[in-house]
Amino acid sequence: MTATLDPDAPVNTTEPTSAKKAKKAKKPRQRRATPAPRTPAGPPSQVESASMVLSSAFTMIGIVCLWMAVQLLFLGSVSQGRDQDLLYRELRTDLAGATAPLGPVVPVGDPVALLTIPEIDVEQVVVEGTASGDLLAGPGHRRDTPLPGQVGTSVVYGRGATYGGPFQDLADLRVGAEITVVDGQGTKKFHVIGVRRAGDPLPQPAADGAARLTLVSSYGTGRLGPISPQSVVYVDAETKKGFPAPSGRPAAVPDSEKAMASDPGALPLLALCLALLLALTLGVVAARQRWSTALVWVIASPLAIALSWMSTDVVMRLLPNLI
Amino acid sequence: MSGALKRLLVLLVLAGSLVVPAMAATSTASASTAPASAAPTEVGRRASDEGEFSETKSFAREFVNYDGSKTTLNNPLTGQPYKMTVDVDHTRNLRGRERVQVSWKGAQQSAGRAPDPYGGNGLNQEYPVVVLQCRGWGDKVTPETCWTTAVAQRSQVGVSQSAAVWREDEYAADADKEINSGMDPMPTSEECPGVDDTGLLATHITPFVAANGTTYDACDINHMPPEAAADSSFPPAEIAAFSDENGAGSVQFEVRSDVENESLGCNQDTKCSIVVVPISGISCDQASTPTATQLTAVEKNCRKTGQFAPGSSNILGAPDAAVAPSLWWSASNWRNRFVVPITFGAPPNVCDILDDRAPTGFYGSELLSQAALQWAPAYCLNKRRFKFQMNTMADQAGFDLMTNGGGPAALVSGEHQAGADPVGYAPTAVTGFAIGYIMDKPDNEGEYTQLKLNARLLAKLLTQSYAGSTFGAQHPGMGDNPWGLQDDPEFQKLNPGLPKVGNEAGAALLNLANSSDIIQQLTSYIATDKDAMDFIDGKPDPWGMKVNPSYKKFALPVSEWPLLDDFVPDGSTQCQLANPSVYFNNVAAPVTTLAKISSALIDGWPNTQTRCDTDISTTPPTYKLGRVDRQPYGYRFMLGVVSLGDAARYGLHTAALETTPKHYVAPTDRSLAAALRLSKQTERYGPFALDQTAVRRSRTAYPGTMVVYTAARLHNLDQDDADKVAQFIRVSTTEGQQPGSGNGELPGGFLPIRRTGVTAALWHSAQDVADAVEAQKAPAEPGGDPSDDPTDTNGDGSSGGDVTPPGDVPSADDPSADATPSATPSTAPEATPMPATEEVSSGLAGGLLPLLILVGGIGCVAAVVARIAPYVRRRG
Repeated sequence: MTATLDPDAPVNTTEPTSAKKAKKAKKPRQRRATPAPRTPAGPPSQVESASMVLSSAFTMIGIVCLWMAVQLLFLGSVSQGRDQDLLYRELRTDLAGATAPLGPVVPVGDPVALLTIPEIDVEQVVVEGTASGDLLAGPGHRRDTPLPGQVGTSVVYGRGATYGGPFQDLADLRVGAEITVVDGQGTKKFHVIGVRRAGDPLPQPAADGAARLTLVSSYGTGRLGPISPQSVVYVDAETKKGFPAPSGRPAAVPDSEKAMASDPGALPLLALCLALLLALTLGVVAARQRWSTALVWVIASPLAIALSWMSTDVVMRLLPNLI
Repeated sequence: MSGALKRLLVLLVLAGSLVVPAMAATSTASASTAPASAAPTEVGRRASDEGEFSETKSFAREFVNYDGSKTTLNNPLTGQPYKMTVDVDHTRNLRGRERVQVSWKGAQQSAGRAPDPYGGNGLNQEYPVVVLQCRGWGDKVTPETCWTTAVAQRSQVGVSQSAAVWREDEYAADADKEINSGMDPMPTSEECPGVDDTGLLATHITPFVAANGTTYDACDINHMPPEAAADSSFPPAEIAAFSDENGAGSVQFEVRSDVENESLGCNQDTKCSIVVVPISGISCDQASTPTATQLTAVEKNCRKTGQFAPGSSNILGAPDAAVAPSLWWSASNWRNRFVVPITFGAPPNVCDILDDRAPTGFYGSELLSQAALQWAPAYCLNKRRFKFQMNTMADQAGFDLMTNGGGPAALVSGEHQAGADPVGYAPTAVTGFAIGYIMDKPDNEGEYTQLKLNARLLAKLLTQSYAGSTFGAQHPGMGDNPWGLQDDPEFQKLNPGLPKVGNEAGAALLNLANSSDIIQQLTSYIATDKDAMDFIDGKPDPWGMKVNPSYKKFALPVSEWPLLDDFVPDGSTQCQLANPSVYFNNVAAPVTTLAKISSALIDGWPNTQTRCDTDISTTPPTYKLGRVDRQPYGYRFMLGVVSLGDAARYGLHTAALETTPKHYVAPTDRSLAAALRLSKQTERYGPFALDQTAVRRSRTAYPGTMVVYTAARLHNLDQDDADKVAQFIRVSTTEGQQPGSGNGELPGGFLPIRRTGVTAALWHSAQDVADAVEAQKAPAEPGGDPSDDPTDTNGDGSSGGDVTPPGDVPSADDPSADATPSATPSTAPEATPMPATEEVSSGLAGGLLPLLILVGGIGCVAAVVARIAPYVRRRG
């Protein structure tokens, strides 16, 4: 009702298109930005409405990009921190109940070990699986390798910049640094034997019965290094005597669980999330016809934030897993 | 005298020196005659013959007369006191549900035979032989530690005084002659409603003392151990068995471990016994009067000698208590007991408990499961060996797992399609499958033990060509077929003396549902029989029986038997109306493991799913089809495919199969060896193929003979695993072929593989494969990186790229000692030239965040500019 009476009604008609193009219930602010009839009565000029459209479009682009950057760098750490809390609790219960997984096959997403690297201040619960989505919660254990601490070479991936960046300082580790792994079979202390980047030789073969642990993450160079992790770095650590490893591991992992791989399987989910966002936008437009702006604000903004958060999580799965 | 002896000795030595080289020269011939000279017994029966038991006892029943003199009642068959001998065929290292043969002679002929002698159903008999399982050895065995399922088997509660004959027992302690006896203190009538405190009715209670020390009052069903609950998971094993007209008899007695019966609690550490109590009647106390007619009622009852004619059957009547099995615990009967000490083998979970190492799983054929059960403790309890674990699965699935690296070795019994790597087959055990059966002769005449089958009868069963019931008879083209084996003239001719009314149980051969080398061999046996194949191709048998049209012209052999029929009968019962389903699939109802078939045969419980279950608590009532009831004792008729290992352990009867016309071969050591002689190895490291057409020409070879092989990759196998597989092959073909029931020994149902004799070729092939598996060097690839490490699949330049986990690369093909020192950090990094770490990077990963921030910033600025621009322009 208010909208039809409002002098700047044409704004209304432009907004759905801009919203449809981008997303998000950003209208309320837009609406507030132009509440008072600063210009005298009369329809806005052609130029004004064009600039309005342009401005809205740019605002949307800005919000989408900045929101994503903010979630990757800051909000993601919050959710990763919470995931870690829950995983730690679960692993603790499993260890106490002697039900912690021993391999060879562990359900994806289950906590498998606690990884502590005092030197770079890392204490993270390792989950099973290295797909991009698994690494949102913490470092992931590659499923075709033995569990950390077991005989053989165990590979653990971790994000280098986003979602808390558990492995962001991995490249700073020095030879000899201590890495402690606690899992269902006990506690193992590893010592770093080298940091590798592309082109460096692989370490010497392990002795019989030794357990290797290879931590994998990404790093960037230059001024933007911390936020542009484009290459993969490996840290090899070893302990003299590993726990026995059961046979029967999967022989290979899907492409989406390899280093710097993304998971195109998330596309349908993303489509669903975007559709929900679109529905929310249309809902806001419709709601504004009936209810006061404040009310629509109160109702729509939590939904918008939740949906945006969810969509960004899904988008993360489409991005390389080590960033 | 001494001269003659000396001459004899010299002669013997001379003869011996001539014979030995001759035997050595023809070692194969001598070995082949060795089993031939042995009596044709079940396969590997010797293995379970350990600890044979035999004992003879003399006893008699007597009445004390008024004047103190004694009247002795002798065995009416001999006129002498009873002289009874009990034999038990094996007693050591028994396992849960194993059946042992208990036989006796010298007892009195039983009378008033009950249709079902087990548990509480066997009480209404006279002069039976009660066989029980008790905890303890020797004198430690008391009636309180003996297991019975029913209250009436252990306690007499609220019996009128005239019937309380145990109070007249000459040998009973004074306490047991009280009106209420058996426990101190006796449970009151509040605890046990049946116990009479008023002194009117007599009660004797034999409480049950469980392994954990709990005492169960055993005065009614609420005071019995939990395993005695009605319809508990296992049917009663204790039996009041029947002695024939010569006073002899035998039963297959099933022993229970603490897995099946925790209260009884027999296991590796708890000694147990089989107790055989012949019921020869209560010996009665001094008479109160010299005149027989003036004796009190209870004195007369005590002196009764039975009301049924010897050998008769008893459907309804109650027997004379003095000669009934319900008083087996009374002093007169108990003092005549035979206590057979038995020991139990290691429980199935011994390795999980005593060895915390991670197991190495071998995957495959269930034929080996009984041997694996005995072998596993010999590995896990020996720290120098690995922890062996056998996981049963379909042969093909196990083989696939092995070829793609999921398991170090597969256990299969035939050749399978290998993957990229060559596979070696090491013969590990000689065993086979059999058609197990349980069939009772009509009129309670005992079990049928001479079953003969031919390929056409098996084809009829497998193709679901027996109608089973009126429902199956509606099937187009099968209206005139017999309902089951029982009324098939061909079967009747082969196996006379069996019931002649066909039913669903006779229409099915309980079979495996999944793919198996056993089905492959069974169907190739049928495929080489002309009559059977003619039948399947549509030619009626000489009696006019036709094949089920759904299976007409079905091509054999197959490795998985399909259920092809799709006939849904017109429903006449509520169940069929509510659940229209394919009738013959419900009759056949195949299962997934041989173990399920074996336990169905032990219990006499067909898997036929045609029983109508109704739940009337809902409106309208709900109906479902369920498994039919257990077959009653005396009317059992069932067949199933079993492994020879299971048949030996559970004492299942196995059918003889036709080879040449009119020749039927049962699975024996000899017939298995004869079949081995026909099998041929076509290539080195390959399996030995048994050609069924050759078997069909032999009169002695058993068609179900199968060799279980340990199949492993000959290269690209992790060296650790390769060593384990080689160790397993060597241990199982030497120590594991020692017949016996102990850890690591070969159980019954298997023909030992020996270095000499008919199995020599198998033995040598096994050693050959063990060496090849251990060496792991077959066709070498250039570049020297044929590592099996799954993550070592380099070179896929796909979007993701790949990590090469270091360390494992050369370890598989270069287990040289110099790797050990170089593995220490920061020393000699150039000891072994190592490949370089691959370049894995992603432009997207590097550019994403800066791009987002940049575009976001530009967007915000542009939005502000676009908003302000018109006003600026207007103002300007």
